[in-house]
Amino acid sequence: MDCRDVTTIALDRLAGEADEASRRELSAHLAGCEACRREMARLEDLWTVLGTDPDAEVSTEFRRRSLDLMEQETLRRRVREFRPKRRFASPLLQAAALLAAGSLGYLVARGLPSGRASAPAAAPSASIAPAAATRLPDLTASPRLSNVAYREADPEGRVGIEFDVTTRQTIVGRPEEPEVAKLLAYMVSRSADTAGERSRAIALVSEHYGAGSATASPEIVAALSATLRKDSNPGVRKKAADALASFTMTPEIRTVFLEALSSDKNPAVRLAAVDALAAAAKQSPDARTIESLREKAVDPQENGFVRAKAASALKAISF
Amino acid sequence: METRGSEDLDLLERIRRGDTGGAAELFERYAPALLRFTDRMLSDRASAEEVTQEVFVKVISRAHQYDGRAGVASWLFAIAANACRDRRRRDRRATVVPLEAVAEPTARGEGIESVIASRQRRQAVRQALSELSEEQREALVLARYHGMPYAEIAEMLGISVGAVKTRIFRAVETLKAHFSEGESWTAAT
Repeated sequence: MDCRDVTTIALDRLAGEADEASRRELSAHLAGCEACRREMARLEDLWTVLGTDPDAEVSTEFRRRSLDLMEQETLRRRVREFRPKRRFASPLLQAAALLAAGSLGYLVARGLPSGRASAPAAAPSASIAPAAATRLPDLTASPRLSNVAYREADPEGRVGIEFDVTTRQTIVGRPEEPEVAKLLAYMVSRSADTAGERSRAIALVSEHYGAGSATASPEIVAALSATLRKDSNPGVRKKAADALASFTMTPEIRTVFLEALSSDKNPAVRLAAVDALAAAAKQSPDARTIESLREKAVDPQENGFVRAKAASALKAISF
Repeated sequence: METRGSEDLDLLERIRRGDTGGAAELFERYAPALLRFTDRMLSDRASAEEVTQEVFVKVISRAHQYDGRAGVASWLFAIAANACRDRRRRDRRATVVPLEAVAEPTARGEGIESVIASRQRRQAVRQALSELSEEQREALVLARYHGMPYAEIAEMLGISVGAVKTRIFRAVETLKAHFSEGESWTAAT
């Protein structure tokens, strides 16, 4: 064995991967090589130090939330399985039906007087029904949209949003199209029951709007602002904050961040607010932002990291 | 081990059938290990909990896709590793919440000195782990903290056993350099 092989074989030994022959060979080498003995001791120390990192434990609250979420997901999938089958689901049957309808139309047209037969035949071509609904359902009555699924953007940048309302519906369009934006805002603010669903809607918003992407509509900004103000789940609030932070700062967004910084109970959300406000203030210093950051920087009740972050943000802003 | 494997398959079958009890049992069995993994990969307890939840929700929706080529445990860790990568990618633009920002539950009866010492140890090790690349960290965490054999790690990450060894070797070299630059690593203990 060469000294250069020692680290590799020593690591195999520490990870329980070295076979008997390798272990013997390593021991024999170490017995006669002081430098490699030191290297081995160093690796053993490192391995031990890594082991002192305490393990995260599943808290009662985390267990409860997770089991609730999993139960909802299981029940949701159960409902999906019982969805009635579509008629003419098979493409072959659909093609046969179209052919039959076309032939019938042709025969009927042949049987009609010549003047009428030459009229534009709109019916056969219109008989190809759209594959999926593209009209936004009436959202004014706050319908529950369930079994939401998102399709990735196609080459033309159109995303798809599928959901069940009274029937399965799909809205397809580019994120900047008003109907898509309106539906996403609705998903974020009113439709989703679970934190997971709200998070997924916000993730889609983050992916398609903001820096370098489409400009978010006022409805989306309002929905995210309401989520940041009121959502009971801190993870969802933080996601809403991150999504808003990627948009161009407006007085409305600034106000919602200032409120979050002053009153959100979760330090991670307050940190996101500090970052967003500080980034905007670097470009264009704002008196309310500076005052709020000053208050946080010296607030003895505040989380130490938020305090430090507010202080360092102030340093970076040129007054 | 064989029994555990067949019990896992039974649980997946129950999940496929829409049995909420099956999902709950799988959670009890694997959530602690997955949470430990995601916590070390993301260094943020809140994100780790969210990602661990995502793993179980994905298992419910993808139970029918499990093909049995890898063990159920490896399949779960593979989903978790992918979810962690996605989360880190998504969070790149956003603020990374450091450990200090999220209050950690304190075990009852623990003295203040022991709590402080435990937090210092945690921070020293996490700081060192954060210097590793994602690939190095995955391989090292699975080998060191989960005692996973190289062959299983390789299957899970879709790489060769040689590549697993290389990643662990490089991770250890980086950690050695980290600890020798700063305080002695025994200071972390």
